[in-house]
Order: sequence, then C-alpha cells, then structure tokens
Amino acid sequence: MHEMSLMAGVFDIMEDILNQDEVQAVKQVRLVVGEMTNAEPEALQMAFAAYAKDTKAEGAVLEIVRAPVLARCRACRQEFPVSGLFFFCPHCGQSGLEIIQGEELLLESLEVE
Amino acid sequence: MPEENLREIKVMANLLGANDVQAEVNRNHFKQKKCLAVNLIGSPGAGKTSLLEKTLTGLGTEFGTAVIEGDMFTSRDAERIAALNIPVLQINTGSACHLDSKMVNKILPAFAWDTLDVMIIENVGNLVCPADFDLGEDFKAVVLSIAEGDDKPEKYPVIFRNAKVAVLNKIDLEPFTEVDLAKMKAQITAIHPEIKIFEVSCRTGQGLAEWTAWLAGEIRAVKETG
Repeated sequence: MHEMSLMAGVFDIMEDILNQDEVQAVKQVRLVVGEMTNAEPEALQMAFAAYAKDTKAEGAVLEIVRAPVLARCRACRQEFPVSGLFFFCPHCGQSGLEIIQGEELLLESLEVE
Repeated sequence: MPEENLREIKVMANLLGANDVQAEVNRNHFKQKKCLAVNLIGSPGAGKTSLLEKTLTGLGTEFGTAVIEGDMFTSRDAERIAALNIPVLQINTGSACHLDSKMVNKILPAFAWDTLDVMIIENVGNLVCPADFDLGEDFKAVVLSIAEGDDKPEKYPVIFRNAKVAVLNKIDLEPFTEVDLAKMKAQITAIHPEIKIFEVSCRTGQGLAEWTAWLAGEIRAVKETG
C-alpha cells in the first residue's frame, strides 16, 4: 500500500493551492500514472478519499489517466509502444531502449472553484 | 456554484518529487565517499538476508562493508548481520511497505564513511512498492527464489526492469519444484535485456563465487574512479 505515500505527495503538492482563499473547493484531481509503475488505481482512490477528508478536496473526483509504455530505440531512434513486456525494438531488434513514457507518476491538473 | 466558476490549474508535478530530491542528496553522498550503494529488493523469504550473509563473508576483507536493514517491525535481520561484525543499522518502517530516501538519509551520519566501500540497503520484503522509490543507490538488485514460480518476473515487471542485476536463489530446489527456469530467465530478459542474471544457492554455495566476484568488480569501479 505505498499508494498512501504517493497520495501524501499529491497533498504536499496541492497544499499551497488549497491554502489560497480564492479556492473554495477542489472538484477534480487528475493524475497520470504510467503502466510501468506499481501504483494501483483502486488503492489510489482509497488513499485519496482518506487524505481528502475534511479538506477542500473532500468529495472531489480523482481521475487517473494510465500512460502506456512508449520507448525509443537507441540504435535506430524509432519510437513505439512496448507491448507484452517485450523490451526489444520491433524495427531493428536491438535491446537498448529508452523508456519515454510509462514511468510517470504525475499530478497533472486540478479543477477548482 | 455555477459551472463558470470552475477553473483548471495545471500542475504537472511528480508525486515522488520530494523522494527523488532526497535520493539525489543520498546519491551525492555515496559518490563523494566513493562508496557503492546497492538497494536489495525481493519478496519475503526470497533469501535476501541469507544472500547478504554469504556475500559479505565472500567479499572478505578487501572492502569496507556496511548494511542498512529495512523491516517493518523486527531487527532480526540486523542481528544476523551484526553477528558477522559488520556495521549495520536497522530502519523499522512501521506500517510502511518500503524504504524511502528520507528514512535512509536520516541514518547516514551514523556510519564511519571513510572506511566504507559498499553499503547494501536491504529493503522491506516486497517486490512491488520498493521498486517505485529511489533511495539514491547506484543500482537495484532483485533477489527471486526460484520456488516463487516462473511467472513472477511477468507479474512484477517494474522491479525487473529497474534492477541492474537479478539473483535467482534456491537454485538447488529446482528438482523439487515445477519451475521452468529457462522460462523464468527468458521472461526477465524480455523485460530487461541488459540485466545480469546469477543463479545461486545460499544453502549449497552454488554460484555465489560468480555473483560475489561480479559485485566486487562493481565496488572496485566506484572505489577507483569515484
């Protein structure tokens, strides 16, 4: 359940925004969670509800956008989605891949009123 | 409240930002002290502490070694390492299922760094959560006992993708299990083609010399070049 730790990160980042007088309530929180992370959406929802209680974010919708794994081949420079946990370039067969998407854990945006 | 009062605030901030910043501080510390730092990760019972005992003994006196033990409640593992006369400190994480960079940073001042060449940080037994938390280590090492089953790399790909080396322990149990070792290794390689794989048995000693020699090479590389 390291989702509690991750959610602590979300509320640390949001703290300054929640403290602003002109922000009355947070209606939506949008996270981007890469497929190559171990954050479980359901556990994040539970952690969010726990942290949001008695704050301006209580009752807000937590939207979780899953980011699929994209890689770039260091040999031929092509970019492609990694499917089936097979980290070889489908174009040239090389293994030297750079993951360019799918490892992120981001607080993307908030909707407030 | 009417709809038009709704407004969007773009944030784009990393949830692990605070952990990652602290991890960089730790990394600089290890680098300055020319000390290799290894984050040892594996499920409960994979044999992390047994591997540590064998590895520390196998490394002999060439290097200054020390250990940080992560455990939710007990200090049993730290006691096993202390019995080898190796400096060791325990971090009890309480309810947390992983170590984070702040917990590690807090106890760094307690070690005699000028005498150390390698710091092994044994994480809480768990293949999931520790994989997401950078401690500032040079690399992650994953320990998997073959009896856990050949489907485990596929089920826990993040740690196998993020580790530099995988140690397959309890290799002596192969005749007594249904595990398909070739399949296990093929899965690991598909997820991380560059990963180093060692097959060892902490019970019989099989493969430990090769693993220890590889690790000694990694320690020397950091010690000599910084």
